[in-house]
Amino acid sequence: MSPTSENAPGAASLDDVLVGEAVLGVYRQMFAALARDSGAVVDDPELVDVAETLLAAFADAGEDGLSREQMRYVCRRYPADVFENRLRVLKGLGAVREVFPKPNQLRYRASFTSVVGLMFVRRMMLDGGQSEMHRLLALEQLNVADPRMTAEQARGGADGLARAFRLWSVELLTLTNGTIEELREQAPKLWGTEEILIRAERLHGAILRRWPELDRTCTDLRAAIYAYGDASRRAAARLSDSAGTTRNLTLLPPETWRTFARTASREDLAAVLEGFVFDAAAPWHEPSAVVAAVEDGPRATPPRPAPPRPSVPDPGLSDDTGSDGAAVERLRAVAEQTLRGNDRVAVEDVLVEDWAASRRLLADLSSAHLHPELPYRLVWSDALDVRPGGSPTWVTPGWFERTAP
Amino acid sequence: MTGGDGAASGGVDPRVLARARVRVLGVPVIDASEPVPEGTAAAGDGERVWLLPSWPDGATPALLEEYETAPMPLDRSGQARRVLAAALRCCWTRPDDAPWPGAPAAVADVLEVYGGMSRGDADLARRWATGELRRLADTGWLLLDEESGTVRPGPRVALWAEPSLASLRDLLRRLPEPPQRAEGGDE
Repeated sequence: MSPTSENAPGAASLDDVLVGEAVLGVYRQMFAALARDSGAVVDDPELVDVAETLLAAFADAGEDGLSREQMRYVCRRYPADVFENRLRVLKGLGAVREVFPKPNQLRYRASFTSVVGLMFVRRMMLDGGQSEMHRLLALEQLNVADPRMTAEQARGGADGLARAFRLWSVELLTLTNGTIEELREQAPKLWGTEEILIRAERLHGAILRRWPELDRTCTDLRAAIYAYGDASRRAAARLSDSAGTTRNLTLLPPETWRTFARTASREDLAAVLEGFVFDAAAPWHEPSAVVAAVEDGPRATPPRPAPPRPSVPDPGLSDDTGSDGAAVERLRAVAEQTLRGNDRVAVEDVLVEDWAASRRLLADLSSAHLHPELPYRLVWSDALDVRPGGSPTWVTPGWFERTAP
Repeated sequence: MTGGDGAASGGVDPRVLARARVRVLGVPVIDASEPVPEGTAAAGDGERVWLLPSWPDGATPALLEEYETAPMPLDRSGQARRVLAAALRCCWTRPDDAPWPGAPAAVADVLEVYGGMSRGDADLARRWATGELRRLADTGWLLLDEESGTVRPGPRVALWAEPSLASLRDLLRRLPEPPQRAEGGDE
């Protein structure tokens, strides 16, 4: 990964003549996969595929490397002239070289740097420079925390980042001022910029804390970060302005739509559904719902079960209210009528009528006997008289008598 | 009941526009001599025609319940329906006929019937019921004539399907009778 992180910004200084040749070599190897011939970059992505196929085959081959025939076999999918061209360029740039630098060498090996470069290229093709920027920032963060890091290295890293941010904001500004179609195409570059900004500022703070003498470099870096933030915000603003005129909702991230729905004015929201007709809303009252509403509603009189009524006509309230006085008077009258002025009378003499009347009288006499306030009592003997023709066919002789009050 | 219906601005069939207008306006009233736009049901009383929404297969918005879709929100729906029932008790004088067009009845009678159905402060009940009468009139369920103080069934009751009316007829027979005074007169 280290060649990637050092070379990606394209900022390595070439003023050192001695190391210059070595650096150029690294560059050539890295971009050999992209080179059409030794002097220019490929114009067909298929050429990159040839290089990748070759490098994969070399990785599988191990230390023996591959012979020319084996390489041709691996690349049999591609036309012969394409393969020859690629092999010549890769050899010329040093990505594929002889196992031993001797004439008529038949076996070849591949350069590690070229594979790494190709990985980097593929990554850049897949998700653009932004994710690479994330990686760079994370790497720099690790480097800054490394105790072996020197101030010079930190200065170099910060300078590189500042330059990358500057170039990035220039690109964004160009996009902002360009056509809206181009801006839409490049829109993914604008997403997630907040996170990059936060990371960059954190890195900037870490560098400044550790090497306060680098404040000049850090000022440059800070300015570049802010310039990038402004540029991306302007580009995003232009994009969201123009996105309102399209129905393609995927042009903006969902968060933006949500924010719009929350903050837009009523007119803005209504404009979305211009050209649509909605039915006038009216409540619907189904007949069954009306019935249910009436039956569930509060009633004038709460429903109560009717009390049970006798089937015969009701004679109205009885005079007998059950009070004690009336019952006592009635019992006294019955007792006096039974005694007829005497002090005592035989029970069997009283029970002369049919049993239905006699038993009512007997019940009254018993009540008079049991009532504590009435001066009467019943005295029964132990005998039992059998009266075959009588209404009660047996009678125990007894006396109903007046007691002393 | 908020089905969208796309309608662009220019060069549209006037019949489509008329239908869209009907749906937007709710229950508009037109002269009986005017043509009825396609796709709408009409309830007329001789002079005027009310244009009503028509639903396929005899469905009504009550179908929403079967699909567990919330109907149009309605405050105090029970009270509104009780007032509607009280008004029908007075206006739907021949329950064997259809409720539409019905006969005009005095608002005072309706309030009387409603007072007999409800419990509590009679004055308050009248005021509630007056408000509900107005709301029902706004949505086409009743036709309220505030000047003469009379009320008639609204055109929307014409959308009730005949088979669904049996229980309502039953209910109206059980409701308290309107006072036996003038037929539809104001006091």
